[in-house]
Amino acid sequence: MNAKTTLPEIPVDAETQRRVEQFLFREARLLDNERWDDWLALMAEDIHYWMPTMENRRRADKNGSHALDRGALYNDDLRDLTRRVTRFKQPTAWAEDPATRHAHVVSGIEVYQGEQAGEFIVHSTFVNYRSRVEKDNDLLVGRREDVLRSDGDSFKLARRKIIITQSVLMAKNLNTFL
Amino acid sequence: MCNANGDQPIRLKRRPIAQSIENLDELLSLEKGRMSRDVFWDKDIYEQEIERIFARCWLFVAHESQIPKAGDYVTTYMGEDNVLIVRQKDGSIKGFLNTCPHRGNKVCFADLGNARQFVCNYHGWAFGIDGGLKGMTASETYEAAGLDKSEHGLHPVAHIDSYRGLIFATLDPDAPSLADYLGDMRYYLDAIFDMDEGGTEFIGGCVKSVIQCNWKYASENFVGDILHALWTHDSGAKAMVGGPVAEVHKTPEQSYHVNFNGHGWEFNQDIVGNCATLGEKELLKYLYVLQPKVAERLGEVRSKMIGAISSCTLFPNTSFLPGQNTFRTWHPRGPGQIELHTWTFVNKKAPQEIKDMWRKGTMMTFSPSGVFEMDDGENWEYSTRSNAGFVTRQQDLYLGLGQDTRVEGTDLPGNVFQGQINEANQRAFYQRWLDLMKADSWKTVPQRDVPKMKEGV
Repeated sequence: MNAKTTLPEIPVDAETQRRVEQFLFREARLLDNERWDDWLALMAEDIHYWMPTMENRRRADKNGSHALDRGALYNDDLRDLTRRVTRFKQPTAWAEDPATRHAHVVSGIEVYQGEQAGEFIVHSTFVNYRSRVEKDNDLLVGRREDVLRSDGDSFKLARRKIIITQSVLMAKNLNTFL
Repeated sequence: MCNANGDQPIRLKRRPIAQSIENLDELLSLEKGRMSRDVFWDKDIYEQEIERIFARCWLFVAHESQIPKAGDYVTTYMGEDNVLIVRQKDGSIKGFLNTCPHRGNKVCFADLGNARQFVCNYHGWAFGIDGGLKGMTASETYEAAGLDKSEHGLHPVAHIDSYRGLIFATLDPDAPSLADYLGDMRYYLDAIFDMDEGGTEFIGGCVKSVIQCNWKYASENFVGDILHALWTHDSGAKAMVGGPVAEVHKTPEQSYHVNFNGHGWEFNQDIVGNCATLGEKELLKYLYVLQPKVAERLGEVRSKMIGAISSCTLFPNTSFLPGQNTFRTWHPRGPGQIELHTWTFVNKKAPQEIKDMWRKGTMMTFSPSGVFEMDDGENWEYSTRSNAGFVTRQQDLYLGLGQDTRVEGTDLPGNVFQGQINEANQRAFYQRWLDLMKADSWKTVPQRDVPKMKEGV
């Protein structure tokens, strides 16, 4: 599941690093600009897009803070992501109108060779700030582990695991992708 | 304000009930379908709710499936009181205030887990899973001071009991039994939590979020407001099933509002209407196969509720949606905030792939990222926040749908109203709210609803 931390971290050449960074920066811009269909087009057919919720458990508890069969805000395949995008595009999506202003800040990008040829394991950190109407401001900070797959001159996102710092989501909703 | 009483230290003696706010009756004019906005904004009303509703009513604290083994525990809230719910060695369940009686620190910081004992981080006071104080670091110093360990365990909730796997607790020793408190709602609860012989379980952990709204906006929404779905959730329905929300206002003859002691359930008899919004054909098939078996066990009416267009609130702050299978508690955090805890419930005997579809389905629809819930939070936040306006909050609100829809002489238990597009349950919810807010104790809460069901069914 996702980028295995046990894999040896084999670095990539500077050009690949640059291309991956450009991919992620462009992805962030598409989300900031609510270009939902263009964003969806970055997903591989077999995308697994996962954002578990964080449980507070004792360190000695072998169950850990999150797992695939436990709580999640996203645990999506392409059909699920497409459904979410369909809602965003409805004129009756009241909580999107007036539009929410998004800023996706991506940083700390590390790129390593993936398990398969043409795949890359990409670590990054993010800050997501959303502002709605007068002063509804929501901040999410976290870390992502992606698997990118070469696709012609660019990449497709095949796996994404999003780990946020919050246990109780301090927002009325999560009307964005991370 | 100290509880010390002569020679015997009484560690937690409830203070005499505070004086009630005057003229509470003027807040509601339910027969005219009007209510005051102060109910959602006033800080003194909120403080009185904490005392007379949350420190008095039976509140949902856990599902039995969350704590199957001895020492399994969850931490949760009763109002703003943090509590620890623990499975005992004999299989029973106990609940305690999650605070150390020594200097008051929180004892258990985990959301859930398994423990042989709970040790306070501050001075190392150690409590058994039965709440008893077992020892502490430098225990000889306390012995020298004459501390009686048997007097310094974790403080237990007043009563704890369960119905069909749902565990409830109350902080009021004078509360009626849980069976009395739920009354005839148990008849309807069985349609969901006893539809299958194995009963239900919670899966997928707890998803928590904060909404800046008054807790009653959430409770009243689930107690009877299907009407909002047609408008609020149009975008979610189009996302999940490619079409609008069902127009249930056009067929009132097949749907009801029922309520009992402020609990309320609005429901259709379309078997799978709620479930259909998850967009998974396999789930519909599962319910259709189950329905005739439910009819045999519980009768025709309840078999048609198992996944129907419907919603329920158990007074005061626990709600669920049949079919979508989300279960939630709206914990109050001041008049203008709630902490929402949600779980997914499924039939224990359902196949794993069916359970997995429901786990995903609640996430896709009724979670902070869900395509339906996403539009609810904003409605409730601004219904609350608008009342900051000094003149604004002097404008009454409307709650008058279905004034003449009462159905008499039906076999259905509780107060029954024709048509799920209705505000009968919301009015009953606020009537119960007012009854509790005015009463000095359980003894003076009016008994408006007399159960048809027998005790301990």
